[in-house]
Amino acid sequence: MSILAEPIAGSRPRTPAGHVVAVLNRSVIHVALGLIGVIWLVPTIGLLVTSFRPRSDIQATGWWDIFQLHLALDNYRQVLEAQGMLQAFVNTVFIAVPSTLLPLAICALAAYAFSWIRFPFRDTLFLIVVAFLLVPVQVAFIPLLTMSRDLVPDLELTRGYAAVWLAHTAFALPFGIFLLRNFFITLPPDMIEAARIDGASDIRVFSTIIVPVSVPAIAAYGIFQFLWVWNDLLMALIFVQDSSKFPMTRAIQNLLSQYGTEWHLLAAGAFLLMIVPLIVFFSLQRYFVQGLLAGSIK
Amino acid sequence: MSLRFPRKFSALPIAVVVALVTACAGPGAQAPGTGAAGSTIKVMSLWGGSEQDAFQKVLDAFKTKTGVTASYESVRTDYSTTLQARISGGNPPDVAIIPGIGFLRQFARQGSLKKISDLGIDVNSLKSNYPPGILEIGQVDGTQYGIMVKFNSKSTFWYRPDKFKTLGVQTAADWNGFTKLLGDIKAKGQAPLGLGAGDSWTLTDWFESVYVRQAGPDKYDQLFGGKLPWTDSSVTAAVDTMKQALKDDYVVGGITAALGRSFTDGIGQAFAANGQAVMYYEGGFVGGIATGQTNTALKVGETIDWFDFPAINNNKSVTIGGDVIAAFTTKPGVKEFLQYMTTSEAGSVWAGTGAIISPVKAVPASAYPNDLAKREAAQVANASAVRFDGSDLLPGSGGGDMGAALQDALRGKTVDWAKFESSIQAAWKAEK
Amino acid sequence: MGLAPTPAVPAQRPITRDLTDVRRARGPEAPNYGTAILFLLPAAVLLVLFLLYPSIYTILLSFNRGRNGVFSEWVGLDNYTRLFSDPDFLNLATFPPSGALWNNLLWIVFYTSIVIFLGLIIAVVAARVRYESVVKAIVFIPMAIAATALAVIWKFVYSPDPNIGLLNAMLGTVGVSPISWLGDENLVNFALIAVGIWGSVGFATVILSAAVKSIPAEVIESARVEGANEREIFFRMILPMVSLPMSVLAVTLIVNVIKLFDLIYVMTSGGPGKASRVIAFTMYQQAFSAGQYGYGSAVAVVMLALLIPIMIFNIRRFRTGAVT
Repeated sequence: MSILAEPIAGSRPRTPAGHVVAVLNRSVIHVALGLIGVIWLVPTIGLLVTSFRPRSDIQATGWWDIFQLHLALDNYRQVLEAQGMLQAFVNTVFIAVPSTLLPLAICALAAYAFSWIRFPFRDTLFLIVVAFLLVPVQVAFIPLLTMSRDLVPDLELTRGYAAVWLAHTAFALPFGIFLLRNFFITLPPDMIEAARIDGASDIRVFSTIIVPVSVPAIAAYGIFQFLWVWNDLLMALIFVQDSSKFPMTRAIQNLLSQYGTEWHLLAAGAFLLMIVPLIVFFSLQRYFVQGLLAGSIK
Repeated sequence: MSLRFPRKFSALPIAVVVALVTACAGPGAQAPGTGAAGSTIKVMSLWGGSEQDAFQKVLDAFKTKTGVTASYESVRTDYSTTLQARISGGNPPDVAIIPGIGFLRQFARQGSLKKISDLGIDVNSLKSNYPPGILEIGQVDGTQYGIMVKFNSKSTFWYRPDKFKTLGVQTAADWNGFTKLLGDIKAKGQAPLGLGAGDSWTLTDWFESVYVRQAGPDKYDQLFGGKLPWTDSSVTAAVDTMKQALKDDYVVGGITAALGRSFTDGIGQAFAANGQAVMYYEGGFVGGIATGQTNTALKVGETIDWFDFPAINNNKSVTIGGDVIAAFTTKPGVKEFLQYMTTSEAGSVWAGTGAIISPVKAVPASAYPNDLAKREAAQVANASAVRFDGSDLLPGSGGGDMGAALQDALRGKTVDWAKFESSIQAAWKAEK
Repeated sequence: MGLAPTPAVPAQRPITRDLTDVRRARGPEAPNYGTAILFLLPAAVLLVLFLLYPSIYTILLSFNRGRNGVFSEWVGLDNYTRLFSDPDFLNLATFPPSGALWNNLLWIVFYTSIVIFLGLIIAVVAARVRYESVVKAIVFIPMAIAATALAVIWKFVYSPDPNIGLLNAMLGTVGVSPISWLGDENLVNFALIAVGIWGSVGFATVILSAAVKSIPAEVIESARVEGANEREIFFRMILPMVSLPMSVLAVTLIVNVIKLFDLIYVMTSGGPGKASRVIAFTMYQQAFSAGQYGYGSAVAVVMLALLIPIMIFNIRRFRTGAVT
């Protein structure tokens, strides 16, 4: 057993009895961690297995009954076609992509100003932006809806995706600006100074120096924001009003109320909703965790 | 299937063309809505599945007749919430079919709905189409805002004739006979009732069916009109009567489980292939859902049928639930659609699907495809008194609150009806 | 997103003032208004239009009838007096108390403490095995998943039908009859909180694991050599080191609870009856289902008011950090 692999559990038993105790301790740890693994995996696996089982099997036996295991893709075909989940998947993409790119661009610009441009009350303004972080979206529902109805009815914001894009973007700003500003500010001042002495404008400094070196931070924030929007239900509930434009979260909510017992459809629908976040999680785990943690710890 | 990519601006040219045409025609040349062929209107309601398919047939017939495309939008969850959010966002559908009169009132008093007369429809000319009392359901403060387009009886008690035969029992006509029936079936080792009371409106329907018979139609009107307080002893009496049937002994799986079960799952308890229960109470629409969705192998008269909700004190009043059509815009095609929906032609097409009973007088009995629906229409037509679903008449969230209170009652909690009364009164006041 | 990762708490180590000063000294001499406005304009417009203006509007509307979402009739504090006398919002007259606000409190107490407790245990214990990263990845997966999907997964586990719900199937094997986890008002909040915990432990684990790792291995090793037992090491060395990230985590989780909506909406819609309602759900329900916009605004303002102390706490922490 190498200490390197187990940095904390380094104390080696000095007596035979101590050795037995250590082995026992070890096995308690393994069992406990194994149990945790089971509790955290089994519910999801159960639904995954169910999503491939025929409806009649689901009603007859539990998914854990391995003797009743005939797997097929029928549920997915049915939920994608008959239940419109394919359309909802496309809608989710249409909602999530602009709602990620818009805040990325706007936050990066503002964060640059807050870190590398001099202007009065800069820090005060920044603190005000940080204060907006905790404003709950609920305070915006009624005013934003009445605003789009009474002030700018011709834009028909709530008829398409514009309302949900803008709402997601606005509520993403405080966190994004905060996060990127705190990254930008750690960049070496010499690098920026040198460019400025060479006569580069701020726009040039921003686009040719800051953005390229900040790709990891921007990516971490981008992934975080993308998954946030992908998984959102509440904003879509208020601001996406045409049922042909509903994202997957709303489509699943509809399935749930319409087909209380139709687990074959629900399970397949839920996995279609989960697949993109899971792919992102497993392929970009590092950025993903960074994005999440950035707001809470460093 | 084809993917619909966002077409935000595709509606624009049509709107422009329409505006131009109207402008060129000069003032007064066109009454609102005439010559609407080619236009598209959005119609929203909460039906999905087999009920949606049935309604689509009506929309198709409408298009064939007028050339107006009525595109249906189904909102299954939180119907009134979604509609209210769309109204606030300036994006209401052109036409909505609204399930509760309380909501019709809410939208009308907000000023969100168009009056029927605003559409250029003469309300008086409609009177002869309907039996007395039907048009009044769509009035708010004396003004016609909506027209009832379909209804179902809520006094149908569904059962399994095959299992009745096996158990050697018969349907009951009055409440005493009914409780005896429940006891008899239980004595044979079988809990008789399915119940999906997670959807609390199934309990409000139970309550209303009992109340209208036990307390009578007059008190029913007062109670659901805000004139009789919920602290009246008739309320607790009706709850007690309800609980004679809805108790652990008689409900398959027990009351607690039933309170977490959806309405469709409750139907499944009686009518799915592996169903345990032999009876299920809900409105006439159960037939369509059970045979179309729950279990397509069901045979009317053999494995599914209904009897009248048992009379109490000889009172055989009938409760109905119905949906009201109302317009949020005066777009071309809206007037045509509302007018079409008042005709026996539309009523017959819709009735022909077996999904609904039409309130239009001229719809013939032969329009109904099966005996279940024919008898349902006859039950309402021949009833001594017909009353509209009371929880749908309550203001604001009153219907939901009433359902929650009844869930509490089944759970064995003492319901604080005084508290309920004060919140209902506050909601009546808030709506004014 | 899942449950915990609400970007709620700016907890990064505050940027120190001296760094700022160094940069300032090297920056352009004159304030650069034009460029600053150019860079800030899009953000400023959106923040004013979508956050500042709505907040003020909603606060004002909470003193109004708010018919149809616009100002109709001023009612003073009526909406608030009605809200706090509404037993569905807060009912302290019974024992145990009930109401949406009370449910939020249950969440804060049980969800926050158990998530942190389990997160810390897993972080410390997993650090002792080779497959640490696997364990952390497994508990972290729910973080990536939508609350809507979490809700479906657990509605399935909780199903009262023992042929479908794993939990009742397991109880069935030991002879316990099925329990309606989401249909019983005494159980429903705890059943939901359990789902919340399941969804958020990964977040706590990863954060606390980073903090535990920041303790040098030699320090702990030498403590062991000096005869400290595992308990002492945990309470005297690990716990103090993680107390700051733990408090930050606690604040983040509390913010999540105050904003909690999706999970409740999908799993129970606040039911059975109104037993599992939370404050964010009440706002949605009152404003949109009942069409009582003034009343709904009052609920939103209560949410805002609950978050303001946390906001002040954060800014203060941020600023004191900046000064030192």
